[in-house]
Amino acid sequence: MNKVFIRIIKYFVLVIFGVFVIVPFLWTLVSSFKPMNAILKDIAPFSIKTFIPVPFTLDSYKELFNGGFMQSILFSILVGILTVVAGILINSTAGFAFAKFKFPGKKAVFLTVLISSLVPFEAIAVPLFIIVRWMHLLNTMGALVLPMIANGLCVFLFYQFFKGIPTDLMEAAIIDGASWWRIYWQIFLPLSKPAIVSASLLLFLSQWQSFLWPLVSVQSSKMRMVQVAIAFLTINERTTLLHVLLAAAVMSSIIPLLLIFPLQRYYIKGFVTSGMKG
Amino acid sequence: MLKKKNNNALRGPQGLSRRSLVAYLFLIPSLIGLAIFRVLPIIYTFIGSLFNVDYGRGGTTFVGFENYLDVLKDPIFWNSVKTTLIFNVVVNPLQITIALILAVLLNGTARTTRFVRTLFLLPLGVSVTIASTIWNILLNPNEGLVNSFLKFLGIPSQPFLTSPSQALWCIVLIASWCGISYWMMFLLAGLQDIPSEYYEAAKIDGATNWQTFWHVTLPLLKRTLTFVIVADTIANFLLFAPIYVITRGGPQWSTNLLMYETYSNAFVFSDYPRALTLTSLLLVMVFAIVLLEIRALQKEESL
Repeated sequence: MNKVFIRIIKYFVLVIFGVFVIVPFLWTLVSSFKPMNAILKDIAPFSIKTFIPVPFTLDSYKELFNGGFMQSILFSILVGILTVVAGILINSTAGFAFAKFKFPGKKAVFLTVLISSLVPFEAIAVPLFIIVRWMHLLNTMGALVLPMIANGLCVFLFYQFFKGIPTDLMEAAIIDGASWWRIYWQIFLPLSKPAIVSASLLLFLSQWQSFLWPLVSVQSSKMRMVQVAIAFLTINERTTLLHVLLAAAVMSSIIPLLLIFPLQRYYIKGFVTSGMKG
Repeated sequence: MLKKKNNNALRGPQGLSRRSLVAYLFLIPSLIGLAIFRVLPIIYTFIGSLFNVDYGRGGTTFVGFENYLDVLKDPIFWNSVKTTLIFNVVVNPLQITIALILAVLLNGTARTTRFVRTLFLLPLGVSVTIASTIWNILLNPNEGLVNSFLKFLGIPSQPFLTSPSQALWCIVLIASWCGISYWMMFLLAGLQDIPSEYYEAAKIDGATNWQTFWHVTLPLLKRTLTFVIVADTIANFLLFAPIYVITRGGPQWSTNLLMYETYSNAFVFSDYPRALTLTSLLLVMVFAIVLLEIRALQKEESL
């Protein structure tokens, strides 16, 4: 009796929250495959047709890609990849230095990195804008990529990973006369694949989802990041291109979903193990 | 004598300093990046907020805390603070509670549980900006899905984002929606890290489901939960996209959250000293709230 009651409550809660969490996304997905007039017609009156992709068409996606959105997607991918490559390199070398070297001032530097990783990026958009303007980097790729490369969280991630690799491996290489760069590049970095995956996800997705910074630092439509592109579409075309807007929402959500979903463990590790231990 | 010198060459101060030099070389690129793009902006914020533009001479003059006094006298600022606090007091507990309930209900290995879990994780990639786009369409007063659904239930249609009394609650709805799947993923991972022996022990002791949740699950989930609460608070305290995309702070300042107020001072009115003053207040507030949260969560442990 009690058990049945708990089950009923459980399903009730799941249905209520399911409607709230899943239905908006499902409706967006379904409607992005319908022509505009059918979307509007099926919204009211509310019925089962609201959630069925009939008549089915790919027109909204075709229109989306003809309208320059594809360029934003490709540009965001490019910015993301540049950030990942540069970010992996400099954050892993820093992690290596913290994990395997003793040097004067280590504690103070480590603390600075820790604190800097706690600074929310959005909050410093205004001073960062002034600094980047002063560096004459506004409206360049540099404005988008450079501020996002050095990342305290990624430094920690590599620091923790490298700390777990036994030192005898390193000592043996030193005796063989290997340079420090070779020890890092040929022994430590290849061993740190899980950390590389976590850090890459973290860096790529932070670029993909970023909105405020690309909005203020770059004006040119050729360098419009995906979130800014979708915001401009929403502001300018919300009544005329509803179907295209929905297709844009689906396209820009699918890429992070495809990355996070299969790699959940790595993604979560990037935040939780490194961030919380420090 | 000679022997000692040799020893020094092998492991003495010279060798050590060479090794330190290597360490610094490995560190420098990321340290420069962090110094310019993380530390310098913070220093610049606090210094810049003490200066004002001198329209007579051109350039800037030192004005001490005048910018702060101006901001603190401004009812628009206090309205923003109030709005931001109300928003956060509601949205963070709401979002995390829903994510936690779902994570607990969907934590299992049965095939149906895994299938339902995947469904709930589908909106994972939706950013706040996209969530704003989707909900702006759903909440459209004339041809939105939500009003159509209300009509289906026999409830009159609502103005939602166009009404000063409803707009902030719509932003709460949007913000809590777009993070649920995301935070649920973290909490699910935390739940799966709890060894099953703990649950077996609780069962043998005859604990009810509720007792097990309260005395086994929650304490062991605390590390993940602390991270989720802190990260979620920071994200929501600095919420910007829905305001920019949908309401622009309105109607009648009802959704003028602090981050948007800071943005519009800098990038709409070009009043950088004021925007820097707001940034410094924002940073202080975020850090104070995060510290309070961590304190509170640690205190619970000692009880």
